[in-house]
Amino acid sequence: MKKLFRFLKPYWFFAVISPLMMMGEVFADLLQPKLMSGIVDNGLQNGDMGYVIRTGALMLVIVLVGGFFGVFCAYTAATAAQSFGRDLRIHAYKKVMSLSIEQTDDFTTGSLVTRMTNDIAMVVEFVEMLLRMCVRAPMVFIGGVIMMLTLDLSFGVVLACALPVLVAMVVFILVKATPLFGVLQKKLDKVNSVVQENVSGARVVKAYGQEDYEIGRFGAVNNELRQTNFRVLKLMALFGPVTSLVMNIAIIAIIYIGGFQISIKNAGMSAGSIMAAITYVTQILMSIMMVSMMFQMVSRAMASAARINEVIDAEPVIEGGTRTEGEGSEAIEFRNVSFRYPGTHGEPVLKNINLTIKKGETLAIIGATGCGKTSLVNLLPRFYDTTEGTVLFDGVDVKEYELSALREKIGYVMQKSELFSDTVANNIRWGNPDAGMDEITEAAETAQAAEFIEGFSEGYDTFIAEKGASLSGGQKQRVSIARAMVRKPSVLILDDSTSALDLVTEGRLQRAIKEKLADTTIIMIAQRIASVKQADRIAVLEEGTILHCGTHEELLQCSATYRDIYDSQMKSGAYMEGGAANE
Amino acid sequence: MSNQVNNAQGQPPQGMPPKGQPGNGPQMRGPMGGGRGGGPMHARINSEKPKNIRKTLLRLVKVIGRSKYFLLALLLTMSIVTVLDLFGPTLQGRAIDTIRIENGRFVVDFETMKQVLAQMLVLFAVSAAFTYFQSILSAKISQDTVFAMRNDLFAKISHLSIASTDNHRHGDLMSRMTNDVENVSNAVSQSIASLFSSILTFFGALFFMLRCNVIVTLVAFITVPMTLLVSAKLAKLMRRYFVEQQKLLGKINGEVEEMVIGYKTVVAYGKEPETIERFGEISEGLRRTSIRSRVFGSIMGPCMNFLGNLQYVLVAAFGIFFVIRGKMSIGNIQAMLQYSKKFNRPINEIANQYASIMTALAGAERIFEIMDTPDEIDEGRLEVSVKDIQGNIEFDDIRFGYVPEEPVLKGLNLSVKKGQRIAIVGATGSGKTTIVNLLTRFYELDGGKIYVDDMDITELPKKTLRDSIAIVLQDTVLFADTIRANIRYGNPDATEDEIRFAAKTANADTFIERLPDGYDTVLTEGGSNLSQGQRQLLAIARAVIANPQILILDEATSNVDTRTEMHIQQAMLALMKNRTSLIIAHRLSTIRDADKIVVLRDGVIVEEGSHDELLNRKGEYEKLYRNQFAGIAT
Repeated sequence: MKKLFRFLKPYWFFAVISPLMMMGEVFADLLQPKLMSGIVDNGLQNGDMGYVIRTGALMLVIVLVGGFFGVFCAYTAATAAQSFGRDLRIHAYKKVMSLSIEQTDDFTTGSLVTRMTNDIAMVVEFVEMLLRMCVRAPMVFIGGVIMMLTLDLSFGVVLACALPVLVAMVVFILVKATPLFGVLQKKLDKVNSVVQENVSGARVVKAYGQEDYEIGRFGAVNNELRQTNFRVLKLMALFGPVTSLVMNIAIIAIIYIGGFQISIKNAGMSAGSIMAAITYVTQILMSIMMVSMMFQMVSRAMASAARINEVIDAEPVIEGGTRTEGEGSEAIEFRNVSFRYPGTHGEPVLKNINLTIKKGETLAIIGATGCGKTSLVNLLPRFYDTTEGTVLFDGVDVKEYELSALREKIGYVMQKSELFSDTVANNIRWGNPDAGMDEITEAAETAQAAEFIEGFSEGYDTFIAEKGASLSGGQKQRVSIARAMVRKPSVLILDDSTSALDLVTEGRLQRAIKEKLADTTIIMIAQRIASVKQADRIAVLEEGTILHCGTHEELLQCSATYRDIYDSQMKSGAYMEGGAANE
Repeated sequence: MSNQVNNAQGQPPQGMPPKGQPGNGPQMRGPMGGGRGGGPMHARINSEKPKNIRKTLLRLVKVIGRSKYFLLALLLTMSIVTVLDLFGPTLQGRAIDTIRIENGRFVVDFETMKQVLAQMLVLFAVSAAFTYFQSILSAKISQDTVFAMRNDLFAKISHLSIASTDNHRHGDLMSRMTNDVENVSNAVSQSIASLFSSILTFFGALFFMLRCNVIVTLVAFITVPMTLLVSAKLAKLMRRYFVEQQKLLGKINGEVEEMVIGYKTVVAYGKEPETIERFGEISEGLRRTSIRSRVFGSIMGPCMNFLGNLQYVLVAAFGIFFVIRGKMSIGNIQAMLQYSKKFNRPINEIANQYASIMTALAGAERIFEIMDTPDEIDEGRLEVSVKDIQGNIEFDDIRFGYVPEEPVLKGLNLSVKKGQRIAIVGATGSGKTTIVNLLTRFYELDGGKIYVDDMDITELPKKTLRDSIAIVLQDTVLFADTIRANIRYGNPDATEDEIRFAAKTANADTFIERLPDGYDTVLTEGGSNLSQGQRQLLAIARAVIANPQILILDEATSNVDTRTEMHIQQAMLALMKNRTSLIIAHRLSTIRDADKIVVLRDGVIVEEGSHDELLNRKGEYEKLYRNQFAGIAT
């Protein structure tokens, strides 16, 4: 938390003014009961109407002044806290945007999002609360106690008894309830997860006619949620009655003590004093409740602050070099590369890879899931760094390039196409902010996306909903490819990014890419033999090592693994060759 | 799941704006924690307006009617608490009244005071007890209502047709399930009850004041219109900025989520500076709106305070006037001062509750909208035992489109004999998956008929029809349950031996037994702790145990690498034995061995025959085949 306060520094003026303003408001609040007691004692008992009106007018003025202080306090507190929030948000966001992929993997996307949103909101809320309440609660408490004791010292007895009882009860309930909140969240997650499963798996549920089973399953988790919720609410139900009972008993005690004092002829005591004391005791007890609520908030804000700090303190593990240009060969070379995901042990994902890809060459990588295909291509744009060995691009170690200069040269199409909620045109323009409309349509045409995009009623201005939900898998893949194409990259990486296309479309796509980007080096990961057959070379990857690398024909000759894959996909390969030749 | 529909159609059904889509944007995103109030996001305040208040209200009354006895009890305890609280000031006034001035000095009738204080003690204790009951009842009602509404809604969703579920965004369904239901229950248990108590308090306080003094009561009333006006105006302003603030918060969440999820792409395209700049703009907007919303929020308190004190002074001044004339006691003034405070609070409260009741009604409307969606049509009356179904299928002049203007199938005819293995091939968007959607009656035909064993499938009960079919889909659906339960899904009555046999047939037994908990391994949500191939094997085991007459394999292996596929392939062959099978596949091996291959183009069958026949014909299939399976050389 302390660390985060440095973001408050530029707004120290507001942060200091705010509590001062609050003092004004508290003074006004504390004065009122005193004035009211004057009205009762001097005005009512003596029937002095003039006094009532005079004091009343004074009271109204004080309320106005107090109100002014209050609003001003709110304004300054909000300005300080919200500006703090803005700066913290932007700083944290910048940090997130500078992290290396492995760090975002570590944090997990879900947790990063929560940290950036809920946690920061929590801390901002807390700072604002702190500015307003941290002064208010102790001031009301101390001021109230002083005012009450000036009325009559014996009222202190009531406070001394009521305070510990109230605090103990509040603490008891909170301590009891806190663990239940965790259970509650779990039950809620369970309910959500059953709904989620059923909504997204509706076809399977229906195909197997399991609707009633699912309804029963939902009923069970739903009931658990109800029971837990009820338990929590039952506990919380104690809160209101208990606190108000304590307060009311305190009021009774005050009247009793007041009456007792008067009965033994204590000159200082009066009806007005008793009434003022009642108001003060209410104010004091409320301030205590406020503090106990704040304690609850402190622990949550602390936890949030710690989570934010983890993000802010993270230093990007991958830092760029200074070079912007290579030596001109534009070749890619993996030299003795081994790789293991950071923080993992055991077998490395890639083992001693040696591979050179010439400029303009198309290299396909094929192999079982988990054999390291994606890991290999991730090393080139430095999403990760090698554990051993070097990756060279254009004759220079990739670590020597400025990150942006390196990545600018690469068009990377991910396995899971990520589109952003924006228009189709803008999604493609991501690849190259300066691209004109003609370049965008050209890229879309090459990516075989133009046809369906133009089929949309709004064409390229069609808005893509959240995560591309309104497009089919194949459409998303093609838009992502267009995005890479518009960049006119020196290296194009296609990470299994045509899997949702049928082979006819894929074939057209490959031909178009070759035509448009003749000089571009293409690294292509694929599952299907048909997709990789045309590549200049095919690397067969198994368990992190390149078994063989060569053309389709060469591999059929020398690689048993490749032949296995081939046979499984096209048992009649030989026949087909004949068939094709017949034509 | 909806992917299949998209593929088959080219233009996904989600592209259409679902009817009555609530325009409530990002603040509804994500499930909201139940009963965990006081988080940083004030979830409840919202400026939504229901469309038809009367109708929705009437239906809501029916829903609440289910817990009417508890509700009556709640209103009863609430009345008791309110009345007891109203007696508080009277007693307090009476206690103070025991103090008077005699010869310029205060004197007290201490004995009477002690009696009154004892009464107060009893009153407060009883009131506290009833308040506790009241909270418990309110919790009971809200939880029961939420429980029942969620169950109803879930049952409804389960019985919706696939066509309807495809039409809703999944997140939207989720948010109705969580947020809307919760809003409604809050309104029922808290807002309505507190409205009731507010009104009671208001009139109660009025009654007690009138009993004391009519004129002073009227004087106290002077400030009421002002209070009403100010609180309504301010509440409106506050809400405006608050809603704006919520929107911006939602925008920030959306922005962060999108960029963090797509981080690799952001990095790969060097878009960090741009996204940071955009984020900065939204943050600045949020800062400004938040400050405004806080400032307006802080004006409310002092304003109410001022009006309250004005009332206090007025009541005190006029009170003294009557005290001097001996028409009132000091205790009476004291009591009136307290009562006048009491009837200010309900006014504020009513203004507050109005907003949350409106939100709840809007939520209720969305829930009812789903409840009103017609169930899946099931008019099948034929009494046929699943066992008697042979598995002959006849598609007769099938016409269908997801959107009326865009027919996907245009007069498709196909007949499949029992035990035959039919492969359906065709380019993306030719309507392959649609055939499956129609055979299983996930969607209803626009024209033509489908017969199973010469029975029109619309005349078969859906249960019977679907029991005779098993499908294995491209995206495997597994449930967060044990492996055993996931397999048993195909047949709830399956014995342990049958489950093991199914796993064995599906080639899944080896990997299952290697798992530390074997068949008791609990899958994570979506089955993400298994590999794609393993998940597929489980789905096949599930189909095996269902022991259907008809089997549909919808591109079941296209997400799996080749090695794993060989494994799956064997399992599929075992599964297809002696069953009518419809296979939609990209891969040759599955297609080649089919008894008949049909080629789909533009919604009609253009060719059918065996692999060799079709190749020799040198038509569409031969072209496809050359393109798809032999590579792209030509």
